[in-house]
Amino acid sequence: MVKRLSDMPEVEAMHLRRIECPTYDDTPALPGKPLDQRRVVIISTAGLHKRGDRPFRPGDGSYRIIPAETPANELVMSHISVNFDRTGFQQDLNVAFPIDRLRELVADGTVGAMASVHYSFMGAFPPAAAEPHAAHLAGLLKADGVDAALLVPV
Amino acid sequence: MREHTEAIRPPRALWVTFELGRPLGAPDDPPFQRRVVKAALDLLARTDAPLIADYAEHVPEVTDFTGWACPINLAPTTIDSLAAEIDRLASWYDRARTKLDRTTVGVSGLDMSTAGALVSQALDGELPPAQALKEATDDLRAYYLEAAAAFPDPGSARTRKEWLWSETRLGQSLLALQPKLAASADPQHKILGNLTLIPATERWRLAGK
Repeated sequence: MVKRLSDMPEVEAMHLRRIECPTYDDTPALPGKPLDQRRVVIISTAGLHKRGDRPFRPGDGSYRIIPAETPANELVMSHISVNFDRTGFQQDLNVAFPIDRLRELVADGTVGAMASVHYSFMGAFPPAAAEPHAAHLAGLLKADGVDAALLVPV
Repeated sequence: MREHTEAIRPPRALWVTFELGRPLGAPDDPPFQRRVVKAALDLLARTDAPLIADYAEHVPEVTDFTGWACPINLAPTTIDSLAAEIDRLASWYDRARTKLDRTTVGVSGLDMSTAGALVSQALDGELPPAQALKEATDDLRAYYLEAAAAFPDPGSARTRKEWLWSETRLGQSLLALQPKLAASADPQHKILGNLTLIPATERWRLAGK
């Protein structure tokens, strides 16, 4: 879920152009189970976490956990960037973190199941800062039986 | 960002044209959001990676009511203070929180008058640690925008953001704080002042711009 630099204020677009964007070897897209047999996790980069959990800091590549049963009122956002809209999230958390939508898709049988825990990174960090956390998280996802991830940036 | 996605080449990506910060498109529109989630998850069946699929639906621009103004006079006056402004928004904020049964305020752990006092202290020349100030100002902005959404005529999200930056003591305070942070010897203060306090869309308001 992405937008173009040309849609942004020039100051912010220039700032983003200056940040080095790493390239990676292509990851093969493997065939897998049908959607109605998959267990799906949401991984956000909106800097979300439970109220009282550690706010994100500049350069922070770690993640926060959001258990599936977390009440909506417990979720706050501490992303360092001020250059994206937060009023949508204030009005309806699903516009950035579609947990109720995923729950509905599981209920009507479109999706097999939902992970027991979802996750948020902040984004806006050097990729190397997230690498150890992401590797750790991959192991946790396997242990949770997850076989599909919905990555939701802001 | 489309450009970054094209460079990073993830196996599967869904391209949407929605406003940054609203990856599912429209708040309070479950069917719309469900279609976006489904479109993203349906890409799992494709193996012709790396691929970027264009999502067909767009969210139309909200028509602003030109001349929308806050229905109560919250504009700062010479005898007004940030503390008084924060205090008189409290009943609107409470109204919003009751209506939604939810608030996104609460990153800093401070009550709003204490968060405001931190901003005032910084304006008086005593800069608190950058992280504390960042959390306090993020909470204050969420508090103001949630409060304004409960006004009798709340306008649109865009007009409420315009109100915050052009008509409130908080907006004025943050704009006045920016040069002090940018001039600080502390690199974290500089990051806050130059990047993460004032949105790029509002930087034209800074003195000397």
